[in-house]
Amino acid sequence: MAMLIPYGQRVTPDDPTVSSRGLMRPRPGGRTLRLTIAALLTVWFALPLVPLLLWFFADRWSAPAVLPTEWGFDGVTSALANGAVPAFGQSLALALVVAAIATPLGAMAARALTRGAVPFPRLVSGILLAPLALPAFVAVMGLTIVLLRARVPGVVGVVILLVAAALPYTVYTMRVAYAAHDLAYEDEARTLGASRWNVLWRVHLPLVAPGLARAAFLAFLVGWSDYVITVLVGGGTIVTLPLLVASFAAGVGNDAVVAVLSVSAIVPPLVLLLALGRFGRRYPTASYLHGPTASQSPKGSP
Amino acid sequence: MSATLEIDALVKTFGAATALDGISFAVSAGECLAVLGPSGSGKSTVLRSIAGLDVPSSGRILVDGADVAGVAPERRGMAMVFQRPLLFPHLSVLDNVAFAATVSGQPKSEARADARQFLELVQLEGFGDRSITALSGGQEQRVALARALAARPRVLLLDEPFSALDPELRADMHSLLGQIRRQLNPTIVMVTHDRDEAAVVADRVALLSTGRLLQHDTVERLYTRPASIEVSRLMGGRIELAGEVRSGVHHSAIGAVLAPEGETWADGPGMLVVRHEAVHVSTLPVEVPPGMVGVEVVVADRRARGPRAEITLACGDGLLEAEVPASRPLAVGQSATAHIPRSACTVVPAP
Repeated sequence: MAMLIPYGQRVTPDDPTVSSRGLMRPRPGGRTLRLTIAALLTVWFALPLVPLLLWFFADRWSAPAVLPTEWGFDGVTSALANGAVPAFGQSLALALVVAAIATPLGAMAARALTRGAVPFPRLVSGILLAPLALPAFVAVMGLTIVLLRARVPGVVGVVILLVAAALPYTVYTMRVAYAAHDLAYEDEARTLGASRWNVLWRVHLPLVAPGLARAAFLAFLVGWSDYVITVLVGGGTIVTLPLLVASFAAGVGNDAVVAVLSVSAIVPPLVLLLALGRFGRRYPTASYLHGPTASQSPKGSP
Repeated sequence: MSATLEIDALVKTFGAATALDGISFAVSAGECLAVLGPSGSGKSTVLRSIAGLDVPSSGRILVDGADVAGVAPERRGMAMVFQRPLLFPHLSVLDNVAFAATVSGQPKSEARADARQFLELVQLEGFGDRSITALSGGQEQRVALARALAARPRVLLLDEPFSALDPELRADMHSLLGQIRRQLNPTIVMVTHDRDEAAVVADRVALLSTGRLLQHDTVERLYTRPASIEVSRLMGGRIELAGEVRSGVHHSAIGAVLAPEGETWADGPGMLVVRHEAVHVSTLPVEVPPGMVGVEVVVADRRARGPRAEITLACGDGLLEAEVPASRPLAVGQSATAHIPRSACTVVPAP
């Protein structure tokens, strides 16, 4: 108990090793099973990447050969010659714009929903999650006509629709973040003299930053990997990596180019994922978060 | 840094429910007022209204005579300490204490130097560079207190700040608060449901129940001169003797009791209340000391309470309560004399 700990001595939490917890104690045979499953999963995830990486360096790879028959960088040169760099740039810009719009929107919606400041909250959250249930092309087919008639530029239309597609992810992620967020921190900051702006910058955003990072990552992925909306609504005004990959994959003998483009498409999400793992952690929970909270305060008559 | 605070006819309704029903009290500069009440009495709403976190439905809140209605919480010059420490997890201990100075635009080095003094004040010098996860519960609440004091509040608001702490730590915090009061003399409004805490910490107590102010008085008078039977019960009074005041003398099952020196009781039906702590039980035949009322009683019940024993004494229809050391051999059925100081007696209107 806290009262037995003299001042100046650090509180160390319970021994986190599994052996100290009865339910988590390893069982005989469990270790082998876990390792096998882990190995199978690794193979399942990594296997598709192996031919991709081989094709990256292959000029020729005829059917029966196990390994490429001619090594080289034809795929890379061909990809560069066919606009891989601008496509990469446009994909990146599109994904960043989608993330930059969908994340704050999702956060605001989630905060309002979590605080109960929204009328008909179930209906509203249902609508916000609807794009998940609706196949993208169903909505897009109808919306293309509307957007064309309204003379909305293709790029703007693409961004609007991708933001709508990304909102379910950002809203959901931020609702989880706000469910764990304690508004009393903001009350406390305000009584200490922090203006609304200071509360936002110095307390609110730092506290939900890990959630924001996760939401932004998901929104980025929606923009980064989209094909249907970019093709149908953009109508060729922007050519992103998925479009380039699709057009090359439709042809014959372009395996090396497709491999180069696909590998470059993996890089940004992978970098972001690693950054998320490094920086997107929740703040370590303080000991009092496990103690009594306001709602469980010791009841007593005076 | 201390200000006077005046609450005038504060009303707060949540829909159809009334949380505060016309609360009025005043706190002078440097005074510590405890707002005491059971759960749901509206005591936290009073504090949140003073802080500006809740907007009262009607009534005025005056700080140094100026109405603070419509003033944003951050511009009221208050600081609040909640039951949970609510230390910002992304800041170090020192930066938590320096928060108020930082948001007011002070340079970081100045803010930190200032914060260091307040860490020293709460006896946590050298803890500044730690992460807040490296603190124990009592240390966290000390940092929260230092952070609030570093904001130089005109009124320091404490919302059950020590309720989540162990009894020993709570006693430590009470003496720390006493020391802070001697050094800085802040005006304090503290919400608590613990009447012992209110008695230890506060100069005066505002007793609330179901949104009404029952009595605003010194701790001693709240115990010895309750304004109503409700106050007496909320303060833990156990002796209630129904009777009638005739010519200034209360007549009940224990006989006639004359009002204390310098006080008069209005004629009519009234309930005599007296603290059980004031009742002396004597088993030897002694003369009734001056200023006391002697009552012949029989021990009706005895309950062990660790080092003390609670005993119920019967006198005809009237029941008295007393506390004696557990070592005293007072058994049920034994006859004794109860001595009640007249100065401890109060007559309140019968319910």
